[in-house]
Amino acid sequence: MPAVKLDAIRKSFGKVAVLHGITLDVEPGEFVSLLGASGCGKTTLLRIVAGLESTTSGSVHIDGHDVTGLPPEDRDIAMMFQSYALLPHLSVSENVRFPLRMRRIGSREEQDERVKKVLETVQLGHLAERRPRQLSGGQQQRVALARAIVSNPKVLLLDEPLSNLDARLREDMQVELIEIHKRLGLTTIFVTHDQEEALSLSDRIVLLNNGRIEQEGAPDAIYDRPATEFASNFLGSANILPALIEGLGGTPVAVLADGQRLPLATDEPARGDVRLALRQEDIHLAIAGDGPDAEVRTRVYLGARSRYVVSLAGQTVRVLAPNDTVFEPGQRVTLTIAPERIRVLAR
Amino acid sequence: MSDRTENLLLILPGLLLLALAFFLPIFQMLALSVAGPDGPTLAHFARFLGDPYYLGILWRTVRLSLIITAICAIIGFPLAYIMARVGPRLRLWLIVIVILPLMTSVVVRTFGWMVLLSRSGLVPELLRDLGLVRRNFSLMQTETAIIIGMVQVLLPFMALSILGVITRIDPRLEEAARTMGCSFLQTLRTVILPLALPGIVAGSLLAFTLSASSFVTPSLLGGSRIEVLAASIYSSVTQTLDWPFAAAQAVILFVGVILVLIPYMKVTGRSHG
Repeated sequence: MPAVKLDAIRKSFGKVAVLHGITLDVEPGEFVSLLGASGCGKTTLLRIVAGLESTTSGSVHIDGHDVTGLPPEDRDIAMMFQSYALLPHLSVSENVRFPLRMRRIGSREEQDERVKKVLETVQLGHLAERRPRQLSGGQQQRVALARAIVSNPKVLLLDEPLSNLDARLREDMQVELIEIHKRLGLTTIFVTHDQEEALSLSDRIVLLNNGRIEQEGAPDAIYDRPATEFASNFLGSANILPALIEGLGGTPVAVLADGQRLPLATDEPARGDVRLALRQEDIHLAIAGDGPDAEVRTRVYLGARSRYVVSLAGQTVRVLAPNDTVFEPGQRVTLTIAPERIRVLAR
Repeated sequence: MSDRTENLLLILPGLLLLALAFFLPIFQMLALSVAGPDGPTLAHFARFLGDPYYLGILWRTVRLSLIITAICAIIGFPLAYIMARVGPRLRLWLIVIVILPLMTSVVVRTFGWMVLLSRSGLVPELLRDLGLVRRNFSLMQTETAIIIGMVQVLLPFMALSILGVITRIDPRLEEAARTMGCSFLQTLRTVILPLALPGIVAGSLLAFTLSASSFVTPSLLGGSRIEVLAASIYSSVTQTLDWPFAAAQAVILFVGVILVLIPYMKVTGRSHG
């Protein structure tokens, strides 16, 4: 039985339809990311699971119970907000105790014990008596996490919890989230617009676009085999090139707009008009080689690597390359890419 | 000219106005309250504090002010919450309705209440028809009438003070409380009420000081039998022409209000510190 079962969820705000029939099962203990650009409906979907938003049609089941019409307090969930939403008039330990108190979980002593333990887990035991505003952003974040996991909810809902942190803290928090998820095995639904976050944290990614599920699957599957142009663009921001596939002598070859050719994997079944998705880091540049010609337009230095913007067959193609060979703007280069790294998308 | 002297010049008109229109009269009132035929005396205070009649007036003033303040808070808090959470259009209309009493003249407003509350007025008649009260029932010249009239005047101060605080409470806090197991009413009690407390305290102070010193509404709705302190001061000034005694009563009112204000300043000062 799935921990969360969403069936044909539709949601409109007035005349604006935000979700167009989302059906999704989340297995117990699974970490699922809802990934998408802002306005794709991912946060609305999470709020529907929480009960903070009603559905226009469709049903929500948590742990086998239909909770579609139930208010948030009657659902066995916990939610962590982007803004943390710590109660400013309560101390850290009172904040963490709050869900236990309101849901009447355990005696006062048991609550004390659980609060103490979970604050140790997020390494905030020494700050238990502080007020939230006396804490740094990262510490507030961990209080919010502690408060979300203390009641051991059936489902943990995370609404872009890492987006207000600086890069370093975000990495630390990601590791912490992974470890806590592994230890507690909480069913988790995580909303993010950051593809790296989704790739590194999730068991499964659900890619949303305009209120529909664009693609879902394990991170490596969805990254390596994006099914649509949107998916390949969103995950790894691939270059999309129109091409024509010809099956010369059994080996398919992609012919670009200016007649230059790119070899494809021998088992590629598609023929005719297609789009190619080329990942920035899969493309290799060389001064001379066996591949289509291109011209370097711009180089952006990124430290370990550089991003080149090159013109290929009248299109702009971005390439991530190591800095062992440096190409200058205006230079002619050849471009190679392993045939199996080229995704062919139907037109 | 240095910045300092420039600043001084700029605040000078304000200071002068305060000195002439506020500090000077208060000082005169203080002086007058201890003035006697043979030099300074506390006889006026002794007379007030030794007379059960005047103590009764003082007690009534304090009691009515407390009741009025409490009713304003009880109505004002949910009203302010609703005003804060509805859409901007509806909020504007609610604000207009709430402050409308302040825009009408106190006499007009009070006569309105007299029409409603007098023996043949709408409210007593309705209560009589429902069989809830006896035939001679009237609300005029009662403490209830004073309370009703004053609550209407002071509600805007309370509601707007609380509204200012509640609009600054992040609505996510309410949502967070709901996801942590609070029902709507529990959320109001455990999250909104404590966070709105500074507004409730500020509004209560306004309501209390204004109702303790109010004169027209209690006089018109309560009549001469139910006197409050401000009305008693008025009659000392205009009828018995005993100005030092009037000044002594004014000082007692003044000191009473200050005594209420000081703890508030301490409380708010601490929360800002």
